[in-house]
Amino acid sequence: MDAHDGFREFVIARQQALMRTAYLLVGDPHLAEDLLQSVLVKVVRHWHKLAREGNPEAYTRKALVNQYISWRRRPDPELPSADPPERAVTYDDDALDRIVLRQALGKLTRKQRAVIVLRFWEDLTEAQTADVLGCAVGTVKSQTHHALARLRELAPDLMDSRIAQEAAR
Amino acid sequence: MTRLRDALNGLAEEAPPANLAGLADLAVVGYRRRRRSTATLAAVATIAVLAGVTATVLMAGPRRTPAAAPQEAPVPVLPAGKVGTLSHAYLETCLPPKGKDPLPDCVPDEWRVVTSAGKTYRVPQALGTTARNHRVPVAVSRDGRMFAYYDKDAEAHVVRDMVTGVETVSAAKVKEERLGVGSMLVVSDDGRHLAFDPREGTKDPGLLIDVRTGGTVPVPGVYEPVAIKDGVAELVRYRRTDLLFMPVTGGGRPVRFDGVFIMFSELAPDGRTVVAFEFPPGKKTQPEYVTRRLTVLDTRTGRTLRKVSVKGLPKRAGIDDATIWQSPSEVTLAVGVGPDTRAYAVDVRTGRARPVAKYPGRSRGQLVLPGAAGGL
Repeated sequence: MDAHDGFREFVIARQQALMRTAYLLVGDPHLAEDLLQSVLVKVVRHWHKLAREGNPEAYTRKALVNQYISWRRRPDPELPSADPPERAVTYDDDALDRIVLRQALGKLTRKQRAVIVLRFWEDLTEAQTADVLGCAVGTVKSQTHHALARLRELAPDLMDSRIAQEAAR
Repeated sequence: MTRLRDALNGLAEEAPPANLAGLADLAVVGYRRRRRSTATLAAVATIAVLAGVTATVLMAGPRRTPAAAPQEAPVPVLPAGKVGTLSHAYLETCLPPKGKDPLPDCVPDEWRVVTSAGKTYRVPQALGTTARNHRVPVAVSRDGRMFAYYDKDAEAHVVRDMVTGVETVSAAKVKEERLGVGSMLVVSDDGRHLAFDPREGTKDPGLLIDVRTGGTVPVPGVYEPVAIKDGVAELVRYRRTDLLFMPVTGGGRPVRFDGVFIMFSELAPDGRTVVAFEFPPGKKTQPEYVTRRLTVLDTRTGRTLRKVSVKGLPKRAGIDDATIWQSPSEVTLAVGVGPDTRAYAVDVRTGRARPVAKYPGRSRGQLVLPGAAGGL
């Protein structure tokens, strides 16, 4: 058996979940693939040890977020071509929410965007988010606070009282 | 599910279908190629170095060989019996190395304890994360003597007296599935009582557990544990903000403060005051843990007694938490400084901070400090 079969199995089993995280972080399908590929190259380097002792998915997620934040030279791929349609012309509130959210996420800093993805999509706690980002819990609290405040400006309809309550924690 | 979460889910569904099997092969091939190149370069370099060394030895005669780089000894598993009181516990997250650094010798998401004497032990029997990847908290009592953790096999919490080595398995069973996002745990000084919140920030009710009898008292889900001291659990309800001092047998009345506060300390030795940080609603005003101003609150009247600016913290420091009292006038603040966490005793009359402990390379999110709710 090839020593890297386990790595292939891991990639095949978890690829879609990892791709979704990458896509939420960068907002562009091609860049999401680039990001994930560059991270997998790092993961395979340590696969023997990760497979034996570790939690490869958690390791990969951390590497994904940190790689995204440090990807400073990349141009911003999100150039919305039009404003979201007025509410009256759409019958699909969910689709409108996605358009508004995509635009709003594109206007956050990378750390703020990562915090939103980790806290409200990955459903991580502040402590877990701090671990992934390698920062203090207080930093996560303030990043979340500022990110939600910005989202509240950009997409007020998406923010309900429960989110505001979580931000106050 | 909130609208933001729904929208994030919807957006995530728009991610392109991943077909990375080929990509995985590419990663493996690239890795092998790099390894071969590195090995070749290393062989060439070794020959060059050997030649150089031989020449040097021939020219200069025998010399002392340089000492080998010190290798970190593997961390031992917590032995049975007495090990002494604990300074803290931490979750070994085993962060990915930067650049080409070697992978650290650790197991991700494993709890470790550090004794007051500075000895570190792995605690593999303490569950680090659930099957759903939710962190499972541990707790250290205020004096560092009791260590509480969740044992997956026993499906219950275990309290270990670190001084005598005696372990008590709680008779109150808690299924692993109950441990959700931001689960929290606090242990009393005598190790008899635990305050357990299965999921932070939800109405899922918590429990006060009597480890000896297995008896439980439900805690309203809107409250989160802060501390247990002298037979009373301190519980906070955010947003309003209410603090409930609930005897371990149940009961108690909440006090409401004027304003929104977070990061509560345990009850002060005067039995009346607590320290917290104001978290003003709205985006214009910064939270007071950022502006470094603590508030001393009266738990009988709900009034603010005074606000004190904290002085003497490092410039880059960020306040993470308020925990136990060091003396009748000094409360402990956990502070993040770069990758480290430090503990400062802050005089609540003058605001003067003095360092009391350092936790190098540990973020507050990894650390469980004595007397503080584990799982923060």
